[in-house]
Amino acid sequence: MRFQRVKKWVLERYDSEALRGLIKKKYVPSHKYEIFYYMGGLALFLFFIQFLTGFALALYYVPHPEQANKYVVDIVTKLNFGWLFRSLHHWGAQILIGVLFFHCFSTLLLKSYRKPRELLWITGTILLGISIFFGLSGYLLVWDERAFAAVRVATGGAGSIPIIGQYLKAFLRGGNDVTGETLARFYAFHVSILPFLTMILISLHVLLVQYHGLSVPLFLEGEKLRKVPFFPNVLYKDFMIWLFVLGVLVTISVLAPPEIGKKADPYAPTPEGIKPEWYFYFLFQTLKFFPGEIFGLSGETIAVSLITLAAIFFLAIPFFDRKSSRGEKSRTFTWVGVCYTVYFLVMTFLGFVT
Amino acid sequence: MKLRWPSVTRREFLNTLFTGWFIAFFAACIYPLLKFIYPNLEKEPDFVILNAKDFLEIPNNSTKPFPWGGKLGLIFKKDDGTIHALKGVCTHMECNIMYKPEERKFYCPCHKGYFDQDGKNISGPPPRPLEFFEVRIENEKLIVSKKGVKVEIPKG
Ligand code: FES
Repeated sequence: MRFQRVKKWVLERYDSEALRGLIKKKYVPSHKYEIFYYMGGLALFLFFIQFLTGFALALYYVPHPEQANKYVVDIVTKLNFGWLFRSLHHWGAQILIGVLFFHCFSTLLLKSYRKPRELLWITGTILLGISIFFGLSGYLLVWDERAFAAVRVATGGAGSIPIIGQYLKAFLRGGNDVTGETLARFYAFHVSILPFLTMILISLHVLLVQYHGLSVPLFLEGEKLRKVPFFPNVLYKDFMIWLFVLGVLVTISVLAPPEIGKKADPYAPTPEGIKPEWYFYFLFQTLKFFPGEIFGLSGETIAVSLITLAAIFFLAIPFFDRKSSRGEKSRTFTWVGVCYTVYFLVMTFLGFVT
Repeated sequence: MKLRWPSVTRREFLNTLFTGWFIAFFAACIYPLLKFIYPNLEKEPDFVILNAKDFLEIPNNSTKPFPWGGKLGLIFKKDDGTIHALKGVCTHMECNIMYKPEERKFYCPCHKGYFDQDGKNISGPPPRPLEFFEVRIENEKLIVSKKGVKVEIPKG
C-alpha cells in the first residue's frame, strides 16, 4: 500500500513510461561471439568498485611525501578493514585494466569500430589510456621505493617525446624531478581530474552504445540472428559474470594483499630488479630493445616516437580502415589487429618472464 | 542614408556578439591557467658545500651520497685515495645508480647500465657518460661544483 503511494507520487513527478519503453525495446543479437558483449558491462561494474573503494581510501589518505607511506601502512594495519579496501582497490584495478585490454583487442579484431561506431572506439581507447594513467598515479601514492623509481622512469620516458616531451615531463612531475610536488599532482589526477574525465567518457560511451546498439561481426552480418531481450535475459547474464568476478576479486584480495615497500628516498640507490606494473611491460620491453644510440640519435627518443606514432595510428584505425566501413572484408586491418594484439601479448609475456 | 532593412538580423548580431564574448573570455582564462599549471622549474645547483670531515674519511674504493639539489650526488674515493664527486643519476632514464666496489663499476639497476670508474658508459642502454663535478677542499669544507664554475667562499 505504502509502496503504491510512493510509486504514484514519483510517477506524478516523472513519468517513467518513456524509459520503460526504451528498456522493453532493447534487444541484443545472440551468436557464437556474444561473450565479447559482456566485457564492457564488466568494465563498468569494475569501475564502480574502483570508485567505491577509492572513496573509502580517500577518507584517510594524505599525499605528503613525509607521511604518505606511513598513512598507507596505517590504513592497512590500524583501520578496521583498511587492508581489505586497499587490497580490493589494488586488485580491482589490475582486473579492470586486464578487462579493458581484452575489450579493446576484441573490438579491434572483430572490427566493431567500423562506421558508425568510430566515436565508441575513440572514447574507449581514451578511457583505456586514462585507466593506465590511473594505474600509474595510484601506484605512486603508496610512495615507496619501487613506485618512485617506476614513476621516474615513466615520466622520464614521456620526456623523450620529440618537441613537447620536456614540457610534458615537467608538467607531470611538477618540477624537474620526482618530488613531493609530483605526489601532490598525481594525487590530484588520481582523485579528481581523471575520475571526472572518466565519468564523462563512460557516459558518452554508454550513450553511444544505446544509440547504435551492439555491433555484429562483419562475417555474421546479413545472417538471420536471434534477438534476445536485454531485460531481463542479458542483464541476468551480466549479473552472473559480475558476481563471479566479484568473487574472484575478493578471494585474491584476501589471499594476496599487495605489498608496501620502504618509503621513497630520492637519495637512495634504485632497488634491484624494479619492474613497472604489468600493463607497462609492453612499453618497458620495447624500450629495452633499443640501444642507447642509433646513428647519433638517442635510442630512447626513437623508441618513444615510434610508440607515440603507433598509439596515434591505433586511435585512428577506424578512419584508415575504409573497407570495413563499407562492410567489405578488410585483410590488411585484420593483420593490423593481429599485429597489435600479438605484440602486446608477447611483450607482456616477456615482461613476466625476464 | 537610412537602410530600409538591417544587413544583419537581430539573431545574427547576438550570436556573433556572444560567440566573440565566449572566445575572448576563454582566451583570457587559458593563458593564466596554463601558466599556473606549468610548474616553476628550479635549476640544478651550480655548487654545494659539504663538511669535508664527513666525506674524506670514507674507505678507498667506496662512495657516499650527498644531496645535489634534489638529486643524488656521490662522493667517490678511488683506490688511490683520490676524491671525486659525480651526479648519481643514470644518463639513460634518470634512475639512481650505485657503485659496485668488487667490479669497480657504477651500476644502474633499472636497465642494467654500467659505467666505469671515470663515468664512461661501458654497457647497457645509457647513452652518455656520468656527470663528474670538480672537488676542492678549503677550510674543512668540501666544495663540489659543476665543471667550469668558479666558487669563492668569503673568509670567516
Ligand atoms: S635508467 Fe639507467 S639504465 Fe636505464
